[in-house]
Amino acid sequence: MSFFGFDTTLPRDRAPQGGQRGIFDTPDPFAEVIRSKAEAHHDDDDVLDFEDTYDGLGNQLTDEQDAFNDDTFGDVETAPVGKDFDFFGKTAQVSEVIGEEQVRYNLNNPQAPVAPVTETETTTVASNTVLQQPRRTGYEKYHDPGYIPDLQAKSSVWNMSSKVDPAFQAMSQARKMMSLEEVEAQLRGQGIAPMPSGPQMLLAQQAPEPPHPFQRPQQLHTLPDGFGQLPPEYLQAQFARGVPPHLLHPQTMAPEPFLPPAHTPSIPLHLLQNPNGPPPPPPPHMGPPQHQAVPPRGQHQQQQHPQQPPQQHNRGSSAQLPLITNPQQLMNLTEEQRVVYLMEDAKRAKRNHKIFLLSRGNGLMTPQDKNFITRIQLQQLVAAAGNVADNDSETVLAEDFYYQVYSQIRGAPRQHPHQPLGHFAQTYLLQTGNRVGGHGSRKNAQSGDNHMQRMQQQVQRAVEAAKAKPKNKQLIIEGSLGKISFGNAKAPKPSLNIKRPESSEGGKATKKPQTDLSLSDRKSILTNIEGVYNTLMELEDMERTMPPPPDENDPEAIQNHMEWRQNVRSLNQKLWLALKVMEPIVPNSNTPHPFIAFLSYPKGKKAIPRIFRHIDQEQRVTILTMIVVHLDTLDVVRRAHSVPGETQPSLAVREAIDLFSQAVLPSLLGYVSEAPFNIIIGLLGLVIAQTHVPFVAKTRIGLGILTMLLSRAEIVKEAGQASERDWQQWVEKFNVLFDTLEPTFGDIFPNSINTGDDMYVWQFLAATGIGASPEQQQRLVIAVKDRVMETVSHSKTLPADMASQRLGNVNLFMRAIGLDVELLG
Amino acid sequence: MENGASSEGKDPSTFLGEIIGAPVTVKLNSGVVYKGELQSVDGYMNIALEKSQEYVSGQLTRSYGDAFIRGNNVLYIAAV
Amino acid sequence: MADSDDAGTSSVSEPLDLVRLSLDEVVFVKLRGDRELKGRLHAYDSHCNLVLGDVEETIYVVEEDENEQETVRTIKKQEEMLFVRGDSVVLISPQA
Repeated sequence: MSFFGFDTTLPRDRAPQGGQRGIFDTPDPFAEVIRSKAEAHHDDDDVLDFEDTYDGLGNQLTDEQDAFNDDTFGDVETAPVGKDFDFFGKTAQVSEVIGEEQVRYNLNNPQAPVAPVTETETTTVASNTVLQQPRRTGYEKYHDPGYIPDLQAKSSVWNMSSKVDPAFQAMSQARKMMSLEEVEAQLRGQGIAPMPSGPQMLLAQQAPEPPHPFQRPQQLHTLPDGFGQLPPEYLQAQFARGVPPHLLHPQTMAPEPFLPPAHTPSIPLHLLQNPNGPPPPPPPHMGPPQHQAVPPRGQHQQQQHPQQPPQQHNRGSSAQLPLITNPQQLMNLTEEQRVVYLMEDAKRAKRNHKIFLLSRGNGLMTPQDKNFITRIQLQQLVAAAGNVADNDSETVLAEDFYYQVYSQIRGAPRQHPHQPLGHFAQTYLLQTGNRVGGHGSRKNAQSGDNHMQRMQQQVQRAVEAAKAKPKNKQLIIEGSLGKISFGNAKAPKPSLNIKRPESSEGGKATKKPQTDLSLSDRKSILTNIEGVYNTLMELEDMERTMPPPPDENDPEAIQNHMEWRQNVRSLNQKLWLALKVMEPIVPNSNTPHPFIAFLSYPKGKKAIPRIFRHIDQEQRVTILTMIVVHLDTLDVVRRAHSVPGETQPSLAVREAIDLFSQAVLPSLLGYVSEAPFNIIIGLLGLVIAQTHVPFVAKTRIGLGILTMLLSRAEIVKEAGQASERDWQQWVEKFNVLFDTLEPTFGDIFPNSINTGDDMYVWQFLAATGIGASPEQQQRLVIAVKDRVMETVSHSKTLPADMASQRLGNVNLFMRAIGLDVELLG
Repeated sequence: MENGASSEGKDPSTFLGEIIGAPVTVKLNSGVVYKGELQSVDGYMNIALEKSQEYVSGQLTRSYGDAFIRGNNVLYIAAV
Repeated sequence: MADSDDAGTSSVSEPLDLVRLSLDEVVFVKLRGDRELKGRLHAYDSHCNLVLGDVEETIYVVEEDENEQETVRTIKKQEEMLFVRGDSVVLISPQA
């Protein structure tokens, strides 16, 4: 029944007959007790009747000193003593006498031991009264001042009992040793408190009082103090039977100045019950704990005739009990009576033991209670996960379970009259309805199912809420059950809550880099890159959530589509800004343009294909233009020149070049292969005008871009799409390029012929050769003749497949100008 | 709300929030000391330092342009 | 992911941002037990669990020779890919 489905009750806590049911699972615990008692009697199959066993002792009572009773209790004839008997008032009338008796007693018994209030008392009771009495009576816990009987737990926890005993309240406030007057008041108050379950609830009402530090529970619940004053002959008799002396004087000197020490040979607990038979069953006033409350009162009653049980008095709840007030009485009984009495007492002890067993779970939460708390926490979790953002007091109030319940119960005006009853309160009301409904019947299994169902629903809700808000960094709920904070794998629980200075002072250093110069600062470039990636991811998310093509007749779908496109557009703008392509170009600046700096990082290069998918043609050509203009400042161009003495650039540079040609060039080529001719012409013009062409041409990336432009122009020409004027312009630019490069054609190859990878050069030469005039082709052949011959001879030393590869590369160029390596053979 | 020190306006979190950007000394449990500009701190006491220098038993051993220090190693952060 | 500020306005608003900026870059990582790593940062999380590629690990071992002179020996190891559990991380620094 617990949250995890375990049965959390220990085996010893399980009620014997009820499976896992604690005593408070039943609506009326004492009904259980009484029922079990009744069962016990049925088991015995010898239901005893009062009349059957009554020995007529009452008739033998002498009335000679009853006259004093009126002194003590007032005139019984005229004003019968009720439940509200004023013990204190009556006692006060004889308080002087009591005081004297006390002093006298103390003088007479100076060495009487003071026993601690422990289980030994009970033992003493047992040994003094019924020797067969089991040691455990079930009342032990009541001797512990720290023990809180939970007899009323259910009603008090859920505030079901509408009235709180005023006397009890007063008592709770007065945190001091209670005077007898207060005890009296309390007892009287309880006597008149309306208790639904009838008289047997008397103790139940009394029991849940929180124990006060200075209250002496033993005064109410344990042996009468006068017990120590057993007649000497009885003590001797007991002694002779082997009862240890310390058991006979357990607590004689309990410091109770108000209690009459000598007069009342007060009543051992178990003798209070009818020795002659079981209590009359139907009015179940015999609920065992009741008797606990009785002895002190019996004691206070100042009975003047210890030998005579005050049966004739019909006062209070104890009045109906034929009492054996003195152990001597037991001795006086006939053997038969004694046997009957002792049997009865043994049964009682058995029953007490049973109660004790049943009440073990008292004060622990039942599985239902645990579920309830769990559900509250889940509610809060759901509420918090649902709206962490709007954590204003209003929402908090609305979601606060206890506030809702409180305002319901108090009928207090809700702060927001129109605010609907909080969900918590609804749940609560439902819940209580269930509990009340289960009252008296055995519907708990069903309501247990409900618990599980609701809990499952709430778990589901919690999960959904968590899914809906996966980006909650962490959860801190400060609710009625205290501060709960959750960490998770993505956001562990922090130990500090640092408020970041949002603006102005504090962020001196953070402000500093926000200058123009810092745009090329390494950290801000990396930040730009992260910004680009963030936006890219958002765009890619948008792509996934693209609504289906709208139906023209569905305005809502059209609306959705419009909104979606609007979002995409604004994200596109955000991306464009983050790329910083449009930052002004600062001529002769030491720091590279932010976009070029962006491209200098591997992750910047890797972003290009993803970026190109989300930008339009105009943006693409802008990017291409930026790259072309800065061709000689690109890291892959700038750093590609091998250091003298080194055969090739460093590994990192080679990796960067590879990455650029795998990630960036294909995107650029994708655009160029569709670009209008005039743009190609313009770009070639920019290369010539803005960059150091021989420098660029010595690099793989530079040559790659030039090749791209040249081959596009050739394709346009082949397709006949170029206008005469455009072609003229192109040829002009081409001639400039050719003339610029002619002296260095032999140098654009990688240094060593052994490095192998010179295909890109042959590709460039081929592209140049195709577009070149016959005269230019001739000059070209002359310029690269040496390299051609070298490669051919070198390939003869290579394995066949590598050789054919190298020759194939050369042939790319040779065939472009109408030749073939075979011809060189 | 966090604790009673709010009346003085200085709880640890506020302090840490205020010294961002300032030169600091960070000592780790291992005894290693880092000096640099505090870029940021978070709730786990993770620290980002700028232009920081590492001192092992008083000897300068390394310099970092940026350094992230995992909070669980931090003994203290002192503003200098 | 969390900060969608316009790029450029934020440099490092929380320490882990520094690590974020080093994604796909070569970082220097100082670990407990006199160990250091240098490698490309492929992934990290808030515990500082790291995935590093092309890692060079350096372990410093203090040894005593016959004269009881303490010498520090370094052991270097090369790993193609490494997962580092966050709790051993002391410091992460981008290698500019």
